[in-house]
Amino acid sequence: MPWQTVIDVITYALFAASGFFFLAGSVGLVRFPDVYTRLHALTKSDNLGLGLASTGLALQSGSWIVAAKLLLIWMIVIVAGATACYLVANSARNSGIEPWTGGDR
Amino acid sequence: MSETPTTITPRERLRRLPGRAVGMLLVWFVVTEADIPSLVIGVPIALAAATLSVALQPRSLSGVYLPGAIRFARFFAVNSVLGGIDVAFRALGPRMRLAPAIVHYPLRISGSFPRVFFANTISMLPGTLSSRLTDDTVEVHVLDCTRPVIEDLAKVEERVADLFGAQLSPHEGGGVL
Repeated sequence: MPWQTVIDVITYALFAASGFFFLAGSVGLVRFPDVYTRLHALTKSDNLGLGLASTGLALQSGSWIVAAKLLLIWMIVIVAGATACYLVANSARNSGIEPWTGGDR
Repeated sequence: MSETPTTITPRERLRRLPGRAVGMLLVWFVVTEADIPSLVIGVPIALAAATLSVALQPRSLSGVYLPGAIRFARFFAVNSVLGGIDVAFRALGPRMRLAPAIVHYPLRISGSFPRVFFANTISMLPGTLSSRLTDDTVEVHVLDCTRPVIEDLAKVEERVADLFGAQLSPHEGGGVL
C-alpha cells in the first residue's frame, strides 16, 4: 500500500472518531439533566474531538510547522475551554443552583 | 495555607526575560509558519510581549520541571481520551448512568498558578469538573460519586505537582459535600 494511502486511512479514522465525540458531546448537552452535567459533556468531548481532528489535519499537512501550529491551537482551545467551563460552573454555584442528584426523569 | 509566596525581585524578573523572549519568538515562528520576512515585526512584538509577561508575572514563582512535564503530557493525553469516551457513553447510553455529587478536596499543592492549573486539569479529566477554587480547597462536581473520586483527584494533583517539580505529602480529608 502506498504511504499516502496509509496516511489517508488514518486521517479518515481520526476524523470519524472526532465527529463521533463532537456528536456525543452535543447529545449530552441536550440529554443531560442540569448545567453541571452538560458542562461535563461539552468540555471533555470538545477537547478530545478537536485533538483528534487536529491530529488528522497535521498528518495531511505533511509539514512540521503546520503540525506545531495545530498543536498550539489545540492547547489554546483547551485552556480557553477549561476556563470558560470553570466560569460557568462557578457562577452557577454562586447563584445557588443545586446540582441534579437523581430522582424522576 | 501551605503557600509560601516568594516575591520576585526586579533582578529575577530581568533574568527571566531572555527565556520568555525566546518562547514568544517561537510562538510567532509557528503562527506565521516560519515566514522569515515577518520577523521584522515578529522580533519587536515578541520582545514587547516577553517584557510585558515578565512585568505582569504574579508573585509566586513556579518553574516547570521538564521530565515531570513529559509525564504529565502522557497522563493528560491518555486520560482525556478516557474522559471523552466515558462522557460519550454516558450521553449516548439508553439509561444515562449518572450519580452526580459535589465533593470538596483539600489542596496540597501550593502557588496560585499550579492551583489554577490543577483546577483546569480536573475539568478535562473523566467525570470531574471544578466549580469553585478557594485558598485551600477545590470544589469538584463529579458525574459518578460511586467511583473513588478523592483518590483519583489525589493522583491528578500528584501529576500536576510533578509538572512543577514539587513533592506532596500523603493526602487526607475531602469527601462528598
